[in-house]
Amino acid sequence: MYGWIWRRLPGNVWIRALISVVLVLAVVYVLFQYVFPWAEPLLPFNDVTVDDQ
Amino acid sequence: MRVIVRTVSELCITVGALIVLFVAYVLFWTGVNADSERDHQTELLKRQWAKGGTEQAPVPYRNGRPFALMYVPRLGFTWNMPVLEGTGTNTLKKGLGHYTVTARLGQEGNFAVAGHRRTYGDPFKDFPELRRGDAVVLTDGTTWFTYRIDKGPYKTVPTDIEVIDPVPRASGYTRPGRYLTLTTCDPEWGHSHRLIVWAELRSTQPVDTGKPEALRR
Repeated sequence: MYGWIWRRLPGNVWIRALISVVLVLAVVYVLFQYVFPWAEPLLPFNDVTVDDQ
Repeated sequence: MRVIVRTVSELCITVGALIVLFVAYVLFWTGVNADSERDHQTELLKRQWAKGGTEQAPVPYRNGRPFALMYVPRLGFTWNMPVLEGTGTNTLKKGLGHYTVTARLGQEGNFAVAGHRRTYGDPFKDFPELRRGDAVVLTDGTTWFTYRIDKGPYKTVPTDIEVIDPVPRASGYTRPGRYLTLTTCDPEWGHSHRLIVWAELRSTQPVDTGKPEALRR
């Protein structure tokens, strides 16, 4: 999987490494900004109120 | 064969990394976010109060907007939190949440507020430390309200909505009065129970007479 990505990146080793880092950072950003905020309320830490549901 | 083994191990590593990242997000990043969000809400309040002067007929609380600041010396001398209207998930990320159906601050009835025990800056982390006699001080920009805790922490189940009734069940109060209820989750990271404390309004004073007794040192 990662090997497949690596082989498809252009340029020499250094450019590939640089692009990889950028890709990783982009993934982390998307996770922190969109995926985790969506997933977190599904866990129980948010249940601090009393209600009849 | 080798390709399968490699792909499976790469997937395992990816899932592991995801979990680590998610834990970092919950433990650390929600706190960072909440701190800046809280500062922002507090700033909003102070600006609003500076503009409003001291006149004002009571303004209706608007959902998701801050309307008061809470101080609880037992939770830390510098502990202070904005109180926002409503107890929605997004509101509680920004500060404490006022149960919409309960009384207004300082009024006859029960002013009930919920807050996170863990994550989002851990506002009520030390909730079990609260004791009878502890002060819970709030201000709406014109008045200081000093409540004193009479009972708690009381452990109950999440469906026990009578704890935020005007005369809360199990609180020991028997007559209508100006009460305050705080709720959070229990156990610390769980959601099976709730912890409750009750307090009663003991004194009020205008903000221009300085901080109330309980906040002086």
